[in-house]
Amino acid sequence: MIASIARRFRGASAGYLLIAPVLVATVVFLVIPMVVSGYWSLTHYNGIKPPQFVGLQNYLDVLSNPRFQRAFQNTIFFVVMGMGIGPLLGLGSAILLNDNLRLRALFRTSFFLPTMTSLIVVATIWKLMYADNGIINAVAAFFSLPGHPWLTDPTTALPAVVVTAIWQGFGFETVVFLAALQAVPKEYYEAATMDGAGPWAKFRWVTLPGIRPTIVFVYVIGIIGSFQTFDQVFVMTNGGPIQATRTIVFDLVDRFNKLDIGGASAVAYILLVFLAVLSYVQLRLGESRD
Amino acid sequence: MRSRPRNRIAKSGFLLAASLLMVVPFLWALSTSFKLPGDVFAYPPRFLPDPFTTGNYLNVTTLIPFPRYFINSTIVTGTIVILNVIFGTAAAYAFAKLRFPGRDAIFFLLLLTLMVPFQVNLIPLYKMMVELHKAIPPLGADTYFGLIAPSAVSVFGIFLMRGFLRSIPDEILESARIDGASELRVLRSIVFPLAVPGMATLAIFTFLGAWNDFLWPLVVTNSDTMRTLPLGLALLARRNTSDWGTTMAGTIVTAAPMIIVFLLMQRRFIEGLTAGAVKDGG
Repeated sequence: MIASIARRFRGASAGYLLIAPVLVATVVFLVIPMVVSGYWSLTHYNGIKPPQFVGLQNYLDVLSNPRFQRAFQNTIFFVVMGMGIGPLLGLGSAILLNDNLRLRALFRTSFFLPTMTSLIVVATIWKLMYADNGIINAVAAFFSLPGHPWLTDPTTALPAVVVTAIWQGFGFETVVFLAALQAVPKEYYEAATMDGAGPWAKFRWVTLPGIRPTIVFVYVIGIIGSFQTFDQVFVMTNGGPIQATRTIVFDLVDRFNKLDIGGASAVAYILLVFLAVLSYVQLRLGESRD
Repeated sequence: MRSRPRNRIAKSGFLLAASLLMVVPFLWALSTSFKLPGDVFAYPPRFLPDPFTTGNYLNVTTLIPFPRYFINSTIVTGTIVILNVIFGTAAAYAFAKLRFPGRDAIFFLLLLTLMVPFQVNLIPLYKMMVELHKAIPPLGADTYFGLIAPSAVSVFGIFLMRGFLRSIPDEILESARIDGASELRVLRSIVFPLAVPGMATLAIFTFLGAWNDFLWPLVVTNSDTMRTLPLGLALLARRNTSDWGTTMAGTIVTAAPMIIVFLLMQRRFIEGLTAGAVKDGG
């Protein structure tokens, strides 16, 4: 009896000991900063003079600020375009790869290369290719098409940046979908064939339900990631031309640089609320299968 | 599923085109990195640099301290990976296999923190590091400590490892305890060896994230000698819009280590990265 209590106690203290580093780090580097940031979002604060409490003023200012509104629209555009196109392309090529055994390893490797490199590398390479006399316009000229200043024309700058994000995520999406497709039991397809199902019916009733958790996973990761877009914009366009590629996080960093720490913190909390709501919705969608 | 030959050729053609689209930009960057400034935008474009120059690589190793960036990235990423694997596995073991009051509540609270985007903590963390640096100069902003500390543990890693460690049978652990092994001994001699495949997955995730991280190094460093590779490259790409050869040499130097590691350990990487995505629902 005593021995078993002693053993449990030993297990307990070992448990606390093992999670202590993680707990301390989480409190110091995450919980405290988060609370501080929440407090700053309610103050006028420039990082030098003590913060002055102003209630929800920063939130009202941010939400009615045309630059933030533009950043918000751009971010939504980024998420909708990127997530509308990228995963579909990934799923499509995963289906083709699932079929095509001979060169699969080679294709998979080449698709995955951009995923392994940082967004900064990807953005730098595409900036070179988008240049006025760069390779993309040279290819266009080869087909007698007019060149275009992709990154300096406000109407094409944002789509051009989105293309790089799709390009970078495509390989990851393909490989993840391919793994999911291969995990769908072959017997389901055989049973469907015996029931006389055609290719479309098989896709609709066997493949899609089978890979549904993976679809949710890809969208959760992708949407959260694209909501935080910053790196490519920093390298390729610096938010311009005329705010055309300003994103929410770019707006946040810009305010921080201009010492509007109250405003930057309010932007951070608006982002937090958005992502929390989205994650909740996505989790519910993921649960509601069956 | 088997399809007709003509179909197969169309599909292979599409996949080949797609993989060219993935690989060609890297080859173009590689080619540009060996070109003279005047040849970068030559029309028609040339894939093979003529004349061939290694001057751009000389620039990024002498004029711009890419070797230093590389060393910084290696130190920072290496330390972050080691700390994450050790602390993450230890904590995951406690959450998966030990009983103590509050265990599940604490784990749930930790999971909630996954919802918080890093940008929320960015500015307070920066201020914290600035103050720390004033108090203790070797720590805080613009030091390795400042670059590493906020990423030293990750809740995602614990979550990943917990799922993995739950599959270790309790009997193995119990018999070790009966033999008189302490919990730390059990962790070191039994859990760690059994957890190696899971730790590899965690290490890969952490490595990718840390090596490619940008926003935090951008904010927390201000001297050139503390910059990491992506940061050094980003600042070069923004500043230097005319000398593309040098910028591409920097790009290749930044991307190459990652690509080489990937090509050597491809199966591990792909299995590791897809494991979480597929197994969860499967």
